[in-house]
Amino acid sequence: MLADWWQYDFLRYTLFSGILIGLICPVLGTFLIVRRLSMMADGLSHVTLSGVAAGMLLSKKIAFFQAVNPLFFGMLFSVVGSLFIERLRKVYKAYQDLAIPIILSAGLGLFTVMVSMANGFNTDLYSYLFGKIVTVTREDLYALLGVGAVVIGTVLLLYKELFAISFDEEYARVSGVARRSINLWFMVLVALTIAASMRIVGVLLISALITIPVAASLQVAGSFRQAMWLAILFAEASVLSGLYLAYLLDWASGGTIVLMAVLLLVIVLGGKRLRARFLQGRGESR
Amino acid sequence: MEEVVRIESLSFQYEDGKKVLDHLDFSLLKGDFVGIVGPNGSGKSTLMKLILGLLPPVEGSISLFGVPIQKFRDWTKIGYVAQQAAHGTGGFPATVKEVIASGLVSKVGLFRRLKAAHYAKVEEVAERVGLAEKLHDRIGNLSGGQLQRVFIARALVAEPELLILDEPTVGVDQESIGQFYGLLRSLKEESQMTMMIVSHDVGVMTQWVTKVACLQRGLHFHGTADEFAHNQENILRSMYGDAIRVLAHHH
Repeated sequence: MLADWWQYDFLRYTLFSGILIGLICPVLGTFLIVRRLSMMADGLSHVTLSGVAAGMLLSKKIAFFQAVNPLFFGMLFSVVGSLFIERLRKVYKAYQDLAIPIILSAGLGLFTVMVSMANGFNTDLYSYLFGKIVTVTREDLYALLGVGAVVIGTVLLLYKELFAISFDEEYARVSGVARRSINLWFMVLVALTIAASMRIVGVLLISALITIPVAASLQVAGSFRQAMWLAILFAEASVLSGLYLAYLLDWASGGTIVLMAVLLLVIVLGGKRLRARFLQGRGESR
Repeated sequence: MEEVVRIESLSFQYEDGKKVLDHLDFSLLKGDFVGIVGPNGSGKSTLMKLILGLLPPVEGSISLFGVPIQKFRDWTKIGYVAQQAAHGTGGFPATVKEVIASGLVSKVGLFRRLKAAHYAKVEEVAERVGLAEKLHDRIGNLSGGQLQRVFIARALVAEPELLILDEPTVGVDQESIGQFYGLLRSLKEESQMTMMIVSHDVGVMTQWVTKVACLQRGLHFHGTADEFAHNQENILRSMYGDAIRVLAHHH
């Protein structure tokens, strides 16, 4: 069964894509969560979905667009959505989280309108929603490789600025950090990551991979850097075990990965509680 | 003596039309340790935000180190310590070392990574504020007083020439407040750093600073701490009204 992963192209593409997603989602997720923007991924994933639907609608109506992967429309919509969120956050300074339900509803509204305009799609929409291993193509992998390189490059080059903004945005501003440009670029990266990851995890479940491994790592990490590394470790474990199980049992890959991430979170929470009880017990016995 | 901050005929009003500063003239000289005093809404925090470039002046001018604020770019010369309550950072998964190092962000520059020499400086500053043993602790495990010293260390690590502190002792216990002011005074004596501090606790703050500025839209009093102490009741009454009663207390 394991040999299949090297024998078939689509499984190899899925494996490499999964490893990349397991790296970039928790890296971005760590910054998003400490800034209390974890719902941002949810909002953007719905906009990405409307982009995919727009791509499918265009390819159905105009022959030229049949050659264009709907993924790129998803990316385009997601990036525009991220810019819109930043704008809304500025307009509603006192209610910054308001931007997310607005963009989420707009994305879902657009999606349903386009599906109705197309009278349904022949393509398997289910795979975009929840992820499906057999649908990953070489083009999808290359898109993910490109996005992954930009995300990791950005985090390596701007780590101290991203940390300063995440920890204390006002202080970063007083220090002269180019806060607005970095925030905007970061949101664009989140948007691109969501769009590029949707074949594997599915657009409706990608936010889980951005948030759950980080939620687990925050329970045990001793520093911010450690939180990020542990989140990567948990995400990779969820992705690899989830993909293997999904292939073995013919389950939706996205759902299986997310369930594995939740299982890991439960193990971490349980382990932490057990450790606290053990330490308490040891303290009482002294 | 070099003027670190120069404010001329500065006015500011918020969008709701409330005027909080009205033709304020004020200057801060190199080596000054100035305490800003004033009732709620007197414009203390607004003045600080204007000096830090967080708000644009409506009328009048601000110069920092001789440069008009609109053209000022050398923000590493200015350190800032905000109200601890404003940070709300208890749950953030960062260590003392990571937070102090974040004070070097501008000094190190864009696309550059922190090196061993930078971390050596972080350790030196942590030692200075008495946190050498806590470098690897998560900030969520610190007391209010220790956390405030972390924020001072973050401001000091870039070796600023001007340190601005906005209500830095809010949420800090009495014993730590004494240690905190003692630390500021020794820093000033060692480095001739210019300091400006806003605090609602007039009695405590004015015991430690060398100059006092009383603010209520404009400047009510600007003089040495001794001059303020001699006329404290009259000055405060002119700002807060006749209903005020000055009670002395010692920490």
